[in-house]
Amino acid sequence: MLDAPLINLYHSDDILAWDSKGPRTVREFVSDVSRLADALPDCPALLNLLSNRYEFLVGFGAAMLKHQVTLLPQSRAPETLCLVAKDYEDSYCLTNPGESIEGLDCVMLPLQTGTAERRGKIPRIPLNQVVAIAFTSGSTGKPMPNHKTWGALVSVAHATASRFGVKAGNPNGVVATVPHQHMFGLEASVILPIQHGLVMHAGRPLFPEDVRTALEEMPGKSIVVTTPLHLRACVSADVKLPSLEIILSATSPLTRDLARQAEQRFLAPVQEIFGFAEAGSVASRRTIETDDWRPLDGIVLAGQGAEWTIQADYLPGPARFPDRISVQDDGTFRVLGRAEDQVNIAGHRVSLGDLNQTLLELDGVNDGAFFLPDVEDRSVTRLMAFVVAPGKTTKEIHIGLQKRIDPVFLPRPLFLVPRLPRNETGKLPREALCKLAEDCLEGGSG
Amino acid sequence: MISPNVLPLEQEVAKLIVEALKLKVDPSTIQPEAALFNEGLGLDSIDALELSLAISQTYGYQLKSSDPDIKANFSSVRALAKAIEKHRTK
Repeated sequence: MLDAPLINLYHSDDILAWDSKGPRTVREFVSDVSRLADALPDCPALLNLLSNRYEFLVGFGAAMLKHQVTLLPQSRAPETLCLVAKDYEDSYCLTNPGESIEGLDCVMLPLQTGTAERRGKIPRIPLNQVVAIAFTSGSTGKPMPNHKTWGALVSVAHATASRFGVKAGNPNGVVATVPHQHMFGLEASVILPIQHGLVMHAGRPLFPEDVRTALEEMPGKSIVVTTPLHLRACVSADVKLPSLEIILSATSPLTRDLARQAEQRFLAPVQEIFGFAEAGSVASRRTIETDDWRPLDGIVLAGQGAEWTIQADYLPGPARFPDRISVQDDGTFRVLGRAEDQVNIAGHRVSLGDLNQTLLELDGVNDGAFFLPDVEDRSVTRLMAFVVAPGKTTKEIHIGLQKRIDPVFLPRPLFLVPRLPRNETGKLPREALCKLAEDCLEGGSG
Repeated sequence: MISPNVLPLEQEVAKLIVEALKLKVDPSTIQPEAALFNEGLGLDSIDALELSLAISQTYGYQLKSSDPDIKANFSSVRALAKAIEKHRTK
């Protein structure tokens, strides 16, 4: 059976990760994974909520050794975690010390990591083993599973490395501001470094000063894996980022202006990745040079008009593009616009239909609709919501939503209205919602 | 109504929060000791990042996650104003 090593292109004394407590060598990692694998319960699936990237990787590796699938929910909202766990009988949660999620069987990371007490070879994982399931919001409100084989993760890591000239141990490391439980984060900040002998920074820097400190801690030059939001913060804060080799940005579109400023300030190329949970990373562009996306090696586009799918040897079947695209003669593609009903807030994609369904399920809500206003002068445009709920307060509805949806989708503002401007077929025309939004905002009550 | 026990810097910080995050609330209605994140104003990590930018631009104070007081500093308008008072460079 074909397989690939869990980590690749390291010597056993090489540093695999840079933790807040110092370096973690390959030898320590192999020991940590083996010890955790023995300690994990015998269950088929788990939610790995560990916030330290090294500890997450130990959990991910140990789960693979025990043929357990790591579930990657689309949000950390407790209700979403429970909804995902419910579908996987006997699943459990691997959590940070002291953390517990109501309604879920939680196992705290039981081990002190980094002791190197066990010797062993680097494990090899079959390429066709399903190691993760990334969830996206489905049209019915039920999270949709996307199965990820070890082969798919390794192939994307190799294609990404080859696109950007990443070779064994060069550049030296990866620092990431994105969560590793998100598909892009898993691919670019975990699998990319561990398949190419790079040092993975275990932290998740948020503020510009945090990014600078993380880069300073790393030996040699690093790739920064980030989002337009974090990049804009670093540019605006006028922070100096040392030892940068490449900036990789994904999750939402980067403007050419911001890419140019970042390149000038940080003296590194800004490369943007296009991807979606169903297929993983599929294409890249250097934003200052072009609007066109060049597919990664191994990716084939199939389709016509504006409806296209992605095909690759490592995908179980064709994956439909979430956006409408046009494909040019040279094989690159341009994004024309998002498919109906899909919104992307700070890298989290969701269907407005799902959000509306969640809203309608709240006690006392008779009618309601989420609405994405046209671009504001803010980096992240937030959703609004209009709710018909006689006798309820905005606060009560807010609390109800808080339990069920990811915080990035919480409406701000949320307006209580006597009725929604539905037309005779019961639909809500966008123009009518725009008008309602204007009226509500002028009224000033939120 | 601004209550008499709200300090001028606290009023300023409440205004900064509302402006930086484009919240549709009147700054004077934010209680200085009310929670900013989760239950209170319901802010999240994207807001924390936006807010940190506004704070560094207005007061020259660069926030760091490694600061042991970071959680406490972000807990309310009052705590944030105190931290700004202590660390501001402009």
